[in-house]
Amino acid sequence: MDVTTKELKEAIIAALNLEGMTPEDIDDNAPLFGDQGLGLDSIDVLELIVLMEKKYGVKVINPIEGKHIFGSVATMAEYISKHSA
Amino acid sequence: MKDGEIVMQMSEEKGTALLGAAYRHLKVSYPKFFKMDAISKAGLIASEILLADERERFVPREDRAVVLFSRHGCEADDIHYRETITDGNYFPSPALFVYTLPNVVTGEIAIRNLYRGETSAYVLEKFDAGQIVSIVSESFEDPVTDSVLCGWVDCADDNNVEALVFQVENGDGEEFTADVINGILTNYK
Repeated sequence: MDVTTKELKEAIIAALNLEGMTPEDIDDNAPLFGDQGLGLDSIDVLELIVLMEKKYGVKVINPIEGKHIFGSVATMAEYISKHSA
Repeated sequence: MKDGEIVMQMSEEKGTALLGAAYRHLKVSYPKFFKMDAISKAGLIASEILLADERERFVPREDRAVVLFSRHGCEADDIHYRETITDGNYFPSPALFVYTLPNVVTGEIAIRNLYRGETSAYVLEKFDAGQIVSIVSESFEDPVTDSVLCGWVDCADDNNVEALVFQVENGDGEEFTADVINGILTNYK
């Protein structure tokens, strides 16, 4: 299943309760974590993992991959598209 | 408003929607803003307006405390969070429950500005300038504290948000009294 970055951004905004933010505010390739980009933190990773499992049925099997998967909206969408049924 | 001058005027946005509009209007660059609850957003926006002209910002400092007061604390967040966990098949969302503490707003301001002094939040039965003066004055008993960013930040619900923040400094200026606070409030009403 192909997931568009716009759809994923909408899901992230809803899951993380980013009130007032729109998909246009998020750059596909901007880092999700740290001071740059979306400014998410380790707690938010939990939300993103749950989002991927509940909405797309995709699990992160190898924790080492997490850093890459949650690097940006683009890398998340790519992982979901590759691993969802 | 700041020091009696209008900083921005918005006719369409009200309540919590006004906070997002203010963030964009003030061109604040702090993506974490969007994760915050309404009272934290209100405190952050008010502090941004207050500190906008400060000569040195974002330099770590231990001498400034953040002491805020409210009537409703994080009640709106508590209610919102409770609504999300009434269904038996719920996921306790950290994005929501991390804000179910009334002192988070003081921490958000301190983190944003790299303040490492005291942070504290008090829930009062009602706005009480005398009580605010009394508690803020106690902050100066800590010899490290030379400055307190303080005030009233309250969010009853999405339509009712109030923020009045000011700085109190150690020094020879005007004495910090309840009359001074009430005077500021009268000018803004």
